[in-house]
Amino acid sequence: MEPTGSPSGDELAILAADPEMLSMFVGEALDHLGTIESVVLQLESAPADVKLLNDVFRPFHTVKGNAGALGVTSVQELAHCVESLLDLARAGTHAMGPDEFDIVLRAVDLLTAMMRELPERVATGAPSAVTARRDALMEAVDALIAAGSSAAQDIDGAADTSPVVEAGAPVAARPGVTPRRASEATSTIKVDTAKLDNLIDMVGELVIAQSILAEDPNLARSTDERLGRRLAQLNRITSDLQRSAMSMRMVPIRQVFQKMARLVRDLSRQSGKNIELVLQGEETELDRKVVEDINDPLMHMVRNSVDHGIESPARRAAAGKPAQATLRLSASHEGGNVVIEIADDGAGLDTDRILAKAIAGGLVAAGTQPSPADVHQLIFQPGFSTAEKITEISGRGVGMDVVRRNIDALRGRIDIHTARGQGTTFSIRLPLTLAIVDGILVAVGRERFVIPAFAVRESLRPKAEQVHSVYGQPCMVQVRDRLIPSLHLGDLFGVAGAQHDITSATVVVLEDNGRPTALIVDELIGKQEVVIKSLGHTFEGVRGVAGGAILGDGRVGLILDAGGLAGLLGKGAAHHAA
Amino acid sequence: MDATTAVDERGSAGGFNAAALAGKYLTFSLGSEEYGLPVLKVREIIKVMDITPVPQVPAHVKGVINLRGKVIPVIDLRAKFGLPAQDYTERTCIVVVDVATTRERVMLGVIVDAVSEVLNIAAAEIDQTPDFGEQVVTNYMLGLAKVKNTVKILLDLDCVLGAEGALGGRIS
Repeated sequence: MEPTGSPSGDELAILAADPEMLSMFVGEALDHLGTIESVVLQLESAPADVKLLNDVFRPFHTVKGNAGALGVTSVQELAHCVESLLDLARAGTHAMGPDEFDIVLRAVDLLTAMMRELPERVATGAPSAVTARRDALMEAVDALIAAGSSAAQDIDGAADTSPVVEAGAPVAARPGVTPRRASEATSTIKVDTAKLDNLIDMVGELVIAQSILAEDPNLARSTDERLGRRLAQLNRITSDLQRSAMSMRMVPIRQVFQKMARLVRDLSRQSGKNIELVLQGEETELDRKVVEDINDPLMHMVRNSVDHGIESPARRAAAGKPAQATLRLSASHEGGNVVIEIADDGAGLDTDRILAKAIAGGLVAAGTQPSPADVHQLIFQPGFSTAEKITEISGRGVGMDVVRRNIDALRGRIDIHTARGQGTTFSIRLPLTLAIVDGILVAVGRERFVIPAFAVRESLRPKAEQVHSVYGQPCMVQVRDRLIPSLHLGDLFGVAGAQHDITSATVVVLEDNGRPTALIVDELIGKQEVVIKSLGHTFEGVRGVAGGAILGDGRVGLILDAGGLAGLLGKGAAHHAA
Repeated sequence: MDATTAVDERGSAGGFNAAALAGKYLTFSLGSEEYGLPVLKVREIIKVMDITPVPQVPAHVKGVINLRGKVIPVIDLRAKFGLPAQDYTERTCIVVVDVATTRERVMLGVIVDAVSEVLNIAAAEIDQTPDFGEQVVTNYMLGLAKVKNTVKILLDLDCVLGAEGALGGRIS
């Protein structure tokens, strides 16, 4: 271990001069590190597989080579150090054992962290935040090489024991589908996402321009059959084009699932629970943005299942269950949605304990008897946790409410199916893409607004006796036996010419997080799929508006946000004065 | 990018550098006044189109328009500068400009009474904005140009959106 001096300044010179090279280097290295991680996890269950070992060695070597060529010595040295260990393993002189796997995975984590901080370091010239960790890890690798394999005894012993090892031993995370090897991968190119988004924007424009043309009264009157055929042809091509443009944003969920494999491996070690992770439907594709945003909530839920769902080995034995617990992570298409399921064969949700806890915490009034499904939903309340002890993994009562918020932000839904003693399944239902939303088009004055269809519960023409006012302001609409606070969209947004006689207006009942709001609009125009466009930072403080959509006539219609509108209840009159 | 540097130099040092401001300007009128925008910041000029109002924003923010698939904000310079409102005529235009906030570059539509011409303004013609006292906000002025017996007010619209570029969220 030679001292590395100060690696910060000089080693970034090449990258600082070429930002494009920097992003390519980082992107490629992260790809390789992802591959290494997933292969190491496979290698753990087959430590003697030389092919897998080579699959780990090669990307390490590439990362080292690239880092060396670009002068990033801190990365090069670490990669080299781990590579030496792997090389010994390949040569058969140092078998891979639990300690070796651990150290390789730790090196992958560290290298990932170093890659992530690289752009920041190049921009600011700051030294690496992980130098100490890096030096320690390199020493540990050297020590391990010097000390010899930790696998020697294990390998001899493992030959005659059954594959189901005792709790606490390394756990095999066997992906249902093995990741594609580089040779099998279809040929791909990397494209800047901004370019892709721009293309999709333009295709959206084309679709709108095409529909304006198709609805042109002059063309509609035309009886020319040939013209009609040509228009239909144009229509077909544009919709095909739109479909394939949209599909470019779709990526398989595999990368997220593979992170979970690593997570489950680490968690099962920490908690002493023996868990087999089964992955299904890794090929399922969904929007890139959804894949990015689903990672954190999924991680929380997997932690939660391991910590709360799956029992300790002793309890499993007492309940007569197999020692090895199963956690199943699956993804599939269902209608226009993607369903992701996290299923454990653990203890199931304890309805009584959740209810007792909720009553103690004041979330539910004592003496009420909510349905089991309602009780299960309580775990998504902020500050809720039934864990008896706070562990490193979970139990601080933060998490599930954050999960729910994240899923809501993705316009998704979580359902829980649970059976005592048999396990719990969380199903997350997500839209395929965030770029398009099914909207209900409504009119107020001469403005039109889009309400996301998932937020709309019903709409009605209220009779005079259904409308209740306070201080002369109509503010409640009675729908069947429920009084729903109302908002006059025209007043709230200051739209001129809005219908003020509620009995000639239309009430759209919105629901956000179980809270209904009766939105008063002039009329419903119809249903329409719209492409969501951000209004940008300029309007980010505006509440009740989720974005803009370009409507059939080329104008912008604002997309309403049910949650934001509900938050504006009671502020409508004040704004009207402004 | 010359124009941007010019603005930064002026803005940061507080000094005035007529040479840095010299260049091509798109001139337009608001009432009887003539203004100029650095031409490098002007993306395009379009007819006034239907503007979708956005709630909870200051009065000079007229709303958003669809610029070939991009949703961009539009502000009314008359309202921003406190001039009396006037109905749009066939000469009223939206000048689409690039503005930089501390966070990002955005496109912004600016409604003006009429666009005049692109002028090449020399350093010798540019004067520092005098101190008008507290009544006149000079934040948006780069300087004054005397061209053919008229005075053109040279504008910097980067700060018109505010440092963070956020206009929304004003609930009374």
